[in-house]
Amino acid sequence: MADVSWTNENEGALLERKSSNRLKFVIGGIIMIAAIAFLMINAMSGNTQLYKTVDEFYAEQPRLVGRDLRVSGWVLGDSIQYTQIDATTSRLEFDIVDNYENPGQRLHVVAMNEPMPDLLQDKAQALIEGQGNAEGVFMVNTGGLMLKCPTRYEEMDPSGHPDGVSVDG
Amino acid sequence: MIADLGYFSILMAFVTAVYAAITSWYGHKKENWRWVESARNATLIVFPLVLLASALLITSIVRNDFSIDYVWRVSSIEMPTYLKFTALWGGQAGSLLFWNLLLSIFTAAAMARKWDEQHDLMPYAIMVGSFTQIFFLALTAFVENPFTRIDSVIIPVDGNGLNPLLRHPGMIIHPPMLYLGFTGFTIPYTFAMAALISGKVDDTWIRTTRRWTLVAWLFLSLGLILGGRWAYDVLGWGGYWGWDPVENASLIPWLAGTAFLHSVMIQEKRDMFKMWNMFLIILTYSLVIYGTFIVRSGVISSVHSFAQSAVGPLFFGFIAIMFIFSAYWLNRRRADLASKNSLQSFLSREAAFLYNNFLILAILAVVFLFTNYPIISELFTGERGFVGPPVYEQALGPLFAVLVLLMGVAPLTMWFRGSVQRLGKAMLWPAVLATVAIVVMIVLGIHLWAALVGFWVVIFSMVLTILEFVKGTHARMKRGENVFVAFSNLMARNRRRYGGYWIHIGVLIMAVGVIGVELFQEETQQQLQVGDTISLGRYEMQFLGVEQRPGADDLIITEATVDVYENGRFVKTLTPRREIYTRTGQPMTIPNARSTILEDFYVLLAEQPTSPDSAIIRVFLNPLINWVWAGGFVFIFGTLIAAWPDAVEDKITAVQARRRPAVVTTGD
Repeated sequence: MADVSWTNENEGALLERKSSNRLKFVIGGIIMIAAIAFLMINAMSGNTQLYKTVDEFYAEQPRLVGRDLRVSGWVLGDSIQYTQIDATTSRLEFDIVDNYENPGQRLHVVAMNEPMPDLLQDKAQALIEGQGNAEGVFMVNTGGLMLKCPTRYEEMDPSGHPDGVSVDG
Repeated sequence: MIADLGYFSILMAFVTAVYAAITSWYGHKKENWRWVESARNATLIVFPLVLLASALLITSIVRNDFSIDYVWRVSSIEMPTYLKFTALWGGQAGSLLFWNLLLSIFTAAAMARKWDEQHDLMPYAIMVGSFTQIFFLALTAFVENPFTRIDSVIIPVDGNGLNPLLRHPGMIIHPPMLYLGFTGFTIPYTFAMAALISGKVDDTWIRTTRRWTLVAWLFLSLGLILGGRWAYDVLGWGGYWGWDPVENASLIPWLAGTAFLHSVMIQEKRDMFKMWNMFLIILTYSLVIYGTFIVRSGVISSVHSFAQSAVGPLFFGFIAIMFIFSAYWLNRRRADLASKNSLQSFLSREAAFLYNNFLILAILAVVFLFTNYPIISELFTGERGFVGPPVYEQALGPLFAVLVLLMGVAPLTMWFRGSVQRLGKAMLWPAVLATVAIVVMIVLGIHLWAALVGFWVVIFSMVLTILEFVKGTHARMKRGENVFVAFSNLMARNRRRYGGYWIHIGVLIMAVGVIGVELFQEETQQQLQVGDTISLGRYEMQFLGVEQRPGADDLIITEATVDVYENGRFVKTLTPRREIYTRTGQPMTIPNARSTILEDFYVLLAEQPTSPDSAIIRVFLNPLINWVWAGGFVFIFGTLIAAWPDAVEDKITAVQARRRPAVVTTGD
């Protein structure tokens, strides 16, 4: 490709050049947008999760079993158990509910080989990623156990869902 | 009394901001400059009023006045005094007041300047600046009043206090840095809108606000880096960035601001992209407000917890109003903003800036869409979905790689024109050097193609960027300057350009760290008895036991001791620990690491040990992680060079502004 700059062109040639350049930019832009759309769709295909509350999970359990889910809820402190099975295998389990003051169904969460998070305690807000099975046990993906970080000092009201979503229905 | 005075100050600040907006408009309409001057004085007065309210809130916190609901929520008697000061931004209501304080400082500083050359802009700048102030002051005065009394006849004897996880210097400084960045961007937006409304759409507003923009961008960058460092030091997951919606809410306006900072250079040099620059600053401002909305409304599920409050819909309404207001004026000035010049070469510098903008906005669009995927998916499918970090990384990796490549190549381009031959010649040896480095890496055992491509791009761009310094210094040395004088003069005489190159070098160093830690991180977790060892990479770690001792206040410290060996040679004793604040029962895991330029051997206690002879220990090997922090320092250094006041440049700007013919003022 030669030097594409120009000098000493007359006005007609200039206008022609201008519109030809514009066309090239439009075509280039469309190709780039298509490439970005491809990157996004390719990255998302089969990798997105459904976000569910505990009650929503139970309501649609047959359909949701085995699917990658993100669930959040309040931790019930008396259900937390950390068991070291052997030197290299540990099992952390606890229950979460949608509304701490008025707990409905409990989701039993199991995380293998995860360290005990500092924030995992009674009334903590857990955010978990993994798959639930037909027995109502939710197996957490590696690195999929998150406790809501206290970005603010203020405590949230436990008589509602940690993400503020409606849990009435 | 203090609470009443504090609230009165906020109310007065609100009323003053409303007065400023109305009188600036009235003064301009009646062509009575005294009203406009009065409006300006009003914007200056907002600052001391908000400062007084903030000082009174801090006083209440320090005096443990738990009759004020906010004080009870965020503080406690035993909290150290310095934390009581930082509690100003520790909760929703206080942080909104703090936001108001920073906004009033920026607005007052911008309005206090000399207006000799920009009289046309002044009334509109005051008006638009006051709009933002009115909104945030109204939130503080009528929705989130930090001086609200506690809803009980019995005043609590103590407050909730601060979560120990937040007692980290990074977390104390991180929010103010972000707020400074966010509020700072309102100034260029204010001047851009003033230019649009007044019809004075030349580059005066850009030159006037250039440094403001860089300063805002510097603070936002600092906020992002400090947040990452806090996560790495405190959260014990071995990472620094998790693509969480709240993190993305800071990154998105930063990306828009980055595109704007690059794009304005084309307007200054070639008088092109005027419309585009206006769009970018409006976008940046809107995204700042959007980011605050995401953070404070809890509309998207995040690992960051915020108290739910009524501010969400108000923020949404404000974004909508400001966006429509801005879009209206942008459309109205369409003809004035049309560029007289056009791109003449696909390989020119202006084209390179355009590609840069396109890539940054593409990254922004991807992050924005993924962040909002829960809302979008619910809208279209009726089910809330979520996009996790691997999806971000897979989609954004190639875009970042091309952006880094462009970072190296763009400085080689020239204004107006360019040629493949010229660029090819300049890139040949850096490309050969990068390829040789990659061959060496393959020989050393690195075979992951994504890492090899990433390292090639980074090395290639690094060599090209360093060559810019070498060429510039060499040219000055030909004039008789010695190498040190030539190098320092090079930067002193063209701070923005070479500051920008330092920023690029910072990004490239950070990119090395990101590739290392994202693609080569290793981890393991085991229960160990005294004398047991864990092997990871070329490291071996021996567990020596656990000790427990009381710490300051109500703290109980449980500390493990481990010896670390590298290739069989002892290198360091590490003491990871868990601290438990017995009053609240809140534990805190403090990792300990052996840090080198090549990696961190990062050790933490996975669970509270129950015996002195046994512990469950998790170990991370984080290759090149320290390059992320080192790159951050270089990045900030570069931004400081670029933003540092330059008397000569300021004088040139002033002269240019005076020479510029008066541009149409349509009297709107």
